[in-house]
Amino acid sequence: MIHTISTFPKDPKIDAKGAGLLADAKEFLRVQTISEIRCVKKFYLEGINEEELAVLKDKLLVEEVWQDFAIDQDFYPSHPYQVEVAYKPGMMNPEVQSIIDTAHALGVTSLIAADTGFVYCFYGENLNQSEIQAVINKLVMNSTIEDIRTGMPKTLILSGQTGEIKIIPIRDMTDEELMKLSKNTLFLTLEEMHTIKNYFQELGRDPYDAELEILAQTWSEHCCHKTFNAKLVIDGVEKESLFKRLKNATKEINHSHAVSIFVDNSGVWKFDDKYGICGKVETHNSPSALDPFGGAATGSGGVFRDIAGTGQGAKVIASTDMFCVGLPDCPESEIPEGCKHPRFTLKGVVRGVSYYGNPMGIPTPNGSVHFHHDFRCKPSIIVGSYGLIELDKAIKKAPNFGDLIFVIGGRTGRDGIHGATFSSAEMTAETATVNSTAVQIGNPIEEKRTFDAVLELSKENMIHAVTDCGAGGFSSAIGEMGEKTGAYVELEKAPLKYTGLAPWEIFISESQERMVVALDPQNLDKAKKICEKYSVESTVLGKFTGDNKLLVTYEDKTLCDLPMEFVHKGLNPLVIKGNYVVSSFPDPSENEVSKDDYTESLHKILSNLNVCSKEPIIRRYDHNVQGTAVQMPLCGKTHSAPNNASVLEPIPGCGKGLIISHGLNPVLNKIDPYLGSKWAINEAIANAVCQGANPENLALIDNFIWPKPDSKFIADLDKSIEACVELSKAYKMPFISGKDSLSSTYTNQATGEKIHIPPVLCVSTFGVVDDINKTISSPFKKVGNKIVLIGETRAEMGGSIYYDVLGYVGSKVPDIEKAVAFKTYQAIHKGIQNGLIKSCADISEGGLAGCVTEMAFGEMFGVEIELRIENRDLKNFEYLFSESPCRFVGEVAEHDFENLKQICGDIPCEIIGEINNNGQIIFKDKDKILIQEKTDKLFKSWKEPMKKVFG
Amino acid sequence: MKPKAAIIFSPGINRDQETSYALIQAGADYEIIQLIELEKGEKRLDDFQILLCPGGFSYGDDVMSAKIWASKSLAHFQTQLQKFISEDKLVIGICNGFQFLIRTGLLPFANVGQIEATLTHNASNHFECRWVNMKVQPSNCVFTKGMEGQILRMPTAHGEGRFLANDEALKRIKDQNQVIFRYVDENGNSTQDYPVNPNGSTEAIAGLCSPNGKIMGLMPHPECNSKKNHHPDWNIEGREGGECLRIFENAVKYFR
Repeated sequence: MIHTISTFPKDPKIDAKGAGLLADAKEFLRVQTISEIRCVKKFYLEGINEEELAVLKDKLLVEEVWQDFAIDQDFYPSHPYQVEVAYKPGMMNPEVQSIIDTAHALGVTSLIAADTGFVYCFYGENLNQSEIQAVINKLVMNSTIEDIRTGMPKTLILSGQTGEIKIIPIRDMTDEELMKLSKNTLFLTLEEMHTIKNYFQELGRDPYDAELEILAQTWSEHCCHKTFNAKLVIDGVEKESLFKRLKNATKEINHSHAVSIFVDNSGVWKFDDKYGICGKVETHNSPSALDPFGGAATGSGGVFRDIAGTGQGAKVIASTDMFCVGLPDCPESEIPEGCKHPRFTLKGVVRGVSYYGNPMGIPTPNGSVHFHHDFRCKPSIIVGSYGLIELDKAIKKAPNFGDLIFVIGGRTGRDGIHGATFSSAEMTAETATVNSTAVQIGNPIEEKRTFDAVLELSKENMIHAVTDCGAGGFSSAIGEMGEKTGAYVELEKAPLKYTGLAPWEIFISESQERMVVALDPQNLDKAKKICEKYSVESTVLGKFTGDNKLLVTYEDKTLCDLPMEFVHKGLNPLVIKGNYVVSSFPDPSENEVSKDDYTESLHKILSNLNVCSKEPIIRRYDHNVQGTAVQMPLCGKTHSAPNNASVLEPIPGCGKGLIISHGLNPVLNKIDPYLGSKWAINEAIANAVCQGANPENLALIDNFIWPKPDSKFIADLDKSIEACVELSKAYKMPFISGKDSLSSTYTNQATGEKIHIPPVLCVSTFGVVDDINKTISSPFKKVGNKIVLIGETRAEMGGSIYYDVLGYVGSKVPDIEKAVAFKTYQAIHKGIQNGLIKSCADISEGGLAGCVTEMAFGEMFGVEIELRIENRDLKNFEYLFSESPCRFVGEVAEHDFENLKQICGDIPCEIIGEINNNGQIIFKDKDKILIQEKTDKLFKSWKEPMKKVFG
Repeated sequence: MKPKAAIIFSPGINRDQETSYALIQAGADYEIIQLIELEKGEKRLDDFQILLCPGGFSYGDDVMSAKIWASKSLAHFQTQLQKFISEDKLVIGICNGFQFLIRTGLLPFANVGQIEATLTHNASNHFECRWVNMKVQPSNCVFTKGMEGQILRMPTAHGEGRFLANDEALKRIKDQNQVIFRYVDENGNSTQDYPVNPNGSTEAIAGLCSPNGKIMGLMPHPECNSKKNHHPDWNIEGREGGECLRIFENAVKYFR
């Protein structure tokens, strides 16, 4: 017997879920006939009598002070427009364990199974059924795991049959058959399929289905970075692989703070004598293109696991998010088939990041959003994470022979099958339908308690090695950990979310929240006890052997028996040829750019999507949790003025800080990938330096998100790497971790037309600040203080926001001599350390005028700036809006200026104006006023665009 | 005597680091107690003077926020809770911990097991992280002793912090001076206007105490403004953070 209890607030106005859904339905589906949605929660309870039902109602499921309820019937029995969405039969509902445990605690021990669902009740005049269906199908239901429930289930107890192990007759396949097998699942090339075919021909048997899946996953671009490891021939010149060039640069720098580089799930940088900081930045572009919410959520979950799975376990202390999406007001007609609208994508990824990071208790203090029309097919969703690790646990070790494969955390389901392989493929209209199971489903609390357990296992020195199940699931985690030893897995021991999975699915599933630990068998009982303390499930799945084989069985039947050597090294390195193509974009004419008054231009720049305030997004993330906040994303009296970087005190009270920032500019890469990449690196560093970072203590992380590397784009990538290697070596700032994702091209299957994203190099930087009290925030602080411009402004308007506002891209990308840049960073650092610079921001998108105005937004000050144009070749608009890198606006007391000027030496450093209380932003060239506007009016323009999107 | 606080930790609690930091700074000792240890009887509340229910997302907000935490606690150790509050001891619930106090009936009226108010979804309908100003109201609350009229700045970080109670309960709360914090604007006036009142709480109520002043619950996070650098404007003279440490210091002083 199954009883049901349905609950709904007494006051329908506080039904947040219903109201939120209605708002989404109006925004994304433009529904006309639905005027109200009520969302009734329904509990299914099996095995209990009516008395016990009453106990659960009173003590667990209903609070009658504010909720109404219905027992064993619909909450609105006669309402004709209602749809119930619940988990599919056999799916594990994550809420159920809590309900059963609590029921048992309340003495209701006969509760043997439970489930929950939501009943969506629609109201409105002349309700349109197709609108209701659209709401359910597009906004409510995740059809991988949920469906519409129409009747009472016979039982809630999960049961089902395990799928079979199949043998794939690959040895006899023609090329056509090989490619048919590869398409949409394995995503391997014909040459790679031949490598597999030949291998099994020599072996004298056909592969099991799991073996093909394991090879496809291990050899996917996503997991083994074929392009980054390939030999290149660019314009006829042979070059070392991209990855090797980056690694060699880092090796050459040999920084004393670098602890672990490019070998583990994250890079480790020395914090003090006891601790290191882990840094890792990941992308989740393909999953987020299909399901923005789920994709971004599990992107965060995944990068957190990378941190937790570093060395012998680390604590996650910060999260970052950088998004590149299409324009939120893009006409529907310009969204290609199979792609989501950018507005839906943006709101979805923001929800995803906050859904995951906030419950985990990880502050998200740094991020940005970049808009460009060409991200409409595939967004770039970048999520980063930082951690604290004890230095003596920071170096990854191989498991010992005989170590147990100890799996902890969530259960395995069908979610995320083919995530790794699919991520490596181009998008087409088919992607959304064929690869719907590729998106993983996240449960942040499962990950939280798993991490709590990992940290205690680590503290007790029980971890020989740890890694997370990310792309490729068990296959990847166990395969990588056991690369040097070999592993034997008894797969039937894996706890499942539901039955019915085939063994190969269990092995490659990318279900989230799972960690694999290499555990000494002696410690098993103690380790299991720690897991129990944190309510985390743990299982011994097998052991690390000494036979260098990957042997996997399911109930004594073999599903994989391959040498590690072939799994990891069987792929021949690629040779990729490319030719650099110079891009050209026209510049505006003189009479378009030069004006008498630039007030309107400044309004447009501030309300440009790539400049405007992102406050509504920032506020969706917790910044203060863990009590480590020192410099946060927003500050000032208005709580709205932006900082350029964030500073945390990872160990409260220790006085030392971790500074985090980043830089990227896709448009500049489109014009010139070499200079665009230089700009991004300088931007990342400048952002950190202006808040107080020491340029001699900064590490870099690269993320390349590129169109599918054809001849042009591989050559662009080569240029970008060149910039990274050059600046990294010049500044002695090593890249210590990175990731490439080279599939951001959309192909129209009918016309063959391709849409490429503007190439993204996102450079994240982090470092150690010796004294948090010597960091500063960006906004202006005191009336009467002087405003100083540091650095040289040049006529470099290509890719600038000013040009964008005029409808141009332009050609001249900003550049700077690297020796000058580094000297400038050192000068700013010294100026802040010595207490001369009270506020500082780096000049980037929007130029000097944009920067000064944003700095005034903290206290709504006025400023009066006089253009100091020594070189009269520089025009007013260039002075105001050029985005020449490595320039800073600082606030100094008048009596401190000479000191600062001395520190700057031959770097330009001039007073350009003063902070006042007049509430007006004024820019003048001698007596001629170029810009004059009230600060609050400019503030409004700056806030407006995201207000329109987020309300 | 240095009082000892029990910081209750259930799966999903995530404010343990900053609450323990604030307690140490204020001069208390603390121990992090797993809920499961209390359930199994391995640990008892008797050994502590302060019960601290921290913020987080206990049990992933299953059923509703803090519900599993509250129901399990009542099922396993209701009598211990009852005994704890009948002795001369203190209870603090912050954010998820405040939700716990409401769902166990410890607040508003210290009737264990009697739910008489609720904290529900923010009127804005989403999670929000934002600094707010809260004015300390006149009350006999131990934690805010000597702070009446002062404006405290704290960050909020919640999606379900809207305090609602029926008219009768609200009247009792006010009659007994149990409202200890209200969200106020820059002039010190309480308001229903977003975002000054970040969640739409009735009468801008941000925090409550029990009639005897020994149980306190609030949505914003005083532990996240317990040192100078916590406030985003600490670089500006006169706006340094840390004023909320006094709440914890008052708790410690109570046992001296």
